[in-house]
Amino acid sequence: MFQLKSWPQFVLLPLAAGVCAVWVGMVCLVFCSRLSGMKAASICGNAQAECHFLSLANLFDRVIQHSARMHGISNDLHSEFELYFLPSKNQVSRVGRNCHTSNILTPNGKENAQRIEREELTEVIMKLLAAWRDPLWHFHQSVARNHRFNGYGSNKSLEMSDMAHELRKGVQKVVEKMQTLGVISNSVGGLASPEALLAADGSGWRFMKDSDLLYCFRRDSNKIQNYLKILKCRIVPEHGC
Amino acid sequence: MKKAEGVIILWWLLFFTLHAEGTSYSLPGKPTLTNCRSPEKETFTCWWEPGSDGGLPTTYHLYYRKESSDAVHECPDYRTAGKNSCFFNKNDTSIWINYNITVVATNARGSTFSDPVEIDVVYIVKPNPPEKVTANVSWNKSWPSLRVSWDPPQKADTRSGWITLIYELRIKLEGEDKWEEHPAGQQKMYNIYSLQSGGTYLVQVRCRPDHGFWSEWSDSTYFKVPDYFPQERSIWIIIMIFSVFIFLILIWAIHMNSHTLKHHILPPVPGPKIKGFDKQLLKSGKSRDAFSSLVGSDFPPTTTNYEDLLVEYLEVYIPEEQGLMLEEGKDLHDGSLKSKSYTSDSDSGRGSCDSHALLVDKSEEEKEVGQKSNQQGGRTEMDLKRPEESPEENILNYSHANVGSPDVSCEKVKTWPSLFSPLTENSSGPLDQPDSPEMAKQHCLSDSLFPPSPLSSPFAPPGHKEVLGSNYQEYSFGNLHPQTGSHQYLRAHGNMNVANIGHKGVPADLQLPPVRSTEYVEVQKVNNENMVLLYRVSSDVEKGCPGRRHTEEYSRLKGVNNDNGLLLLQRMVSEEEMNICPYEDQESSGLTDSGYTTSTAQKSTAYIPPATQVLDERVAGGYVDTSMFTLPIY
Repeated sequence: MFQLKSWPQFVLLPLAAGVCAVWVGMVCLVFCSRLSGMKAASICGNAQAECHFLSLANLFDRVIQHSARMHGISNDLHSEFELYFLPSKNQVSRVGRNCHTSNILTPNGKENAQRIEREELTEVIMKLLAAWRDPLWHFHQSVARNHRFNGYGSNKSLEMSDMAHELRKGVQKVVEKMQTLGVISNSVGGLASPEALLAADGSGWRFMKDSDLLYCFRRDSNKIQNYLKILKCRIVPEHGC
Repeated sequence: MKKAEGVIILWWLLFFTLHAEGTSYSLPGKPTLTNCRSPEKETFTCWWEPGSDGGLPTTYHLYYRKESSDAVHECPDYRTAGKNSCFFNKNDTSIWINYNITVVATNARGSTFSDPVEIDVVYIVKPNPPEKVTANVSWNKSWPSLRVSWDPPQKADTRSGWITLIYELRIKLEGEDKWEEHPAGQQKMYNIYSLQSGGTYLVQVRCRPDHGFWSEWSDSTYFKVPDYFPQERSIWIIIMIFSVFIFLILIWAIHMNSHTLKHHILPPVPGPKIKGFDKQLLKSGKSRDAFSSLVGSDFPPTTTNYEDLLVEYLEVYIPEEQGLMLEEGKDLHDGSLKSKSYTSDSDSGRGSCDSHALLVDKSEEEKEVGQKSNQQGGRTEMDLKRPEESPEENILNYSHANVGSPDVSCEKVKTWPSLFSPLTENSSGPLDQPDSPEMAKQHCLSDSLFPPSPLSSPFAPPGHKEVLGSNYQEYSFGNLHPQTGSHQYLRAHGNMNVANIGHKGVPADLQLPPVRSTEYVEVQKVNNENMVLLYRVSSDVEKGCPGRRHTEEYSRLKGVNNDNGLLLLQRMVSEEEMNICPYEDQESSGLTDSGYTTSTAQKSTAYIPPATQVLDERVAGGYVDTSMFTLPIY
């Protein structure tokens, strides 16, 4: 319809350039007026101490999110495997369930959790994570072998196992950070500490059924998450507590 | 009396028994634990639903067992949470431990245990709704925004991280039904920007722990957005300028391409294109030149060779045995009678009627039988007579000829009608003369008799018999018209041996009148009596009696008298034939009435000028008295 070819070239080019320039200019005008109110968000302030604390809080947030995700996976697996574990819905056997981590003293209430020392709390977290490294891997193997469970269960169990492993490393980093900051004393043992090894020793988990394993881990992951939150709000309360 | 009393007592006992069934004592019904809830993950409450009480006062007890111990404990607090409830305070609540709870209903009759319920407090947390929901309307660069803020429920300890709550708020306009929900995560405030100015809104907030149940919605908080007008004029100004700019560009583009657009929207109407036509010449005013190319060189025809145009002609050919087979030629106007079978005549037929084969001696003056010439052509009027007319009125003209001779040429035949032209419309019905072995149709169009006439009457389609009739009729009209002028009478002399006459050639006594007229004579058949039945062909067949041939048989030649006149026997046409066509009726009626009706030229009536009074089957006389023709019978 528009015979652009009929337009002389010397008119067309400047016209196009002018239109583009005007359009760009107006767009910039519109947006710049809005951009003036924006401020650049800085994650880390100038002060080192703020930055450190901020980073610890950031670390805590990451770890907490990680643990929350792990607990979510265990929750999904548990609800899904309840169909397969129907025979084990026997109340008697359920009451008699005994998790292999029962020997680890964990605070059962808020007061207990707040009363405990942060180092002890950290220790509990570490023990729990250490205690579940092998059983989770074993659980994954069992689920993978079991033909009753579909691929979803196998993938999730593997993911759960990996996450527990990662969480241990993350918590370890947090502990190191806290020890660096002097938040907690250096008495907190690492993964290779004998207490941790003893705690992880119990081979009682090998005799547990898969359903019990899953049930116990679901609870323990919730504990880990909760303890981490308490720890964070105790150490770095100003950010999201 | 005793019996009555006994009956009464019996009835009373029965009545009481029935009544007493409703109040019988039984074990209490089975209670059911409906739910257990913890508002802050530190305490929890369980509620149960009692069953039927069994008619006796029933007490309910709740017993629980913790996971790792076998000790059975009873509910510490039945009242705090209301009726049929059990409240576990902080001391009795342990997290991450399974509780096995059972409710027992006990009455005098016994106890009924409910189904046990296992709970873990962590998973039954349902917090209280958030508190202190506030909504503040603020202005952000003249746009209103709403900031909703709230506090977590009081009991839930989120500060220590014991509980992590996730919030959600919903907002709606006052009066609407649909809420607009916004998940807020863990934050305790939320901004909303899409607000109507002057609207009143309701906002509600609720929360839930990360693994738990949603709380109830908080109480509605009302807030009103004040009216505002956008103050952002600068943006509107920019938009307006840009629009004007674009508009100008569009105008310019349209102007540049106006021509193309015009063609696109309103396509030009194509003008007429005439081959060879030059519009410029027309515009210049030289119309002659402009139209010159249109004028064909061959139109109108410069030379009119009518003779070439005429295609119809009569062909008369004589069958071998008897009778004449006439084939109607196409050349009507020519009036040529052509005989197919005749060998002697090489002429196509034109003018052949002038030859010696004339049967009728046409006398100009003396003979009464004359042939009326009709410039228009037609037939001899005198000959025209309808057989359906009353015989008294009509002249019986009989034309009797032996047409059996194969040698009868067209010319001979041609003369016949000139003699007597009673060509009657012949129906296909009965012929009175019957024994003619053949049915011969003879159309004789005498060229000599029939000058080409510019008759408006139809140019009959070649070969059409009606044409003959038309000409015939015209001829007859022509006879009547004074325009025609001279009437020539043809004296018909019949002879039994007309054919012989024919063979002989033109009888000496037969003289053709100089008037040339053409007529149609249709020989229906030739009977064995050597009679030629001539039929007048109606010209009016087109009017509605198509194909109808009035078979008025005139030409039954009785004989030829001494005067070389043909004695014509008029045949009475059957009555039915008279009614064939209304036109015919008219004719016949007319004719019957007057015997000799004159009609306008347009009418195609056949007139048979009665020369003499004719009786059926009678020879009125050997003569067709021409003098009589002009005189009406009556």
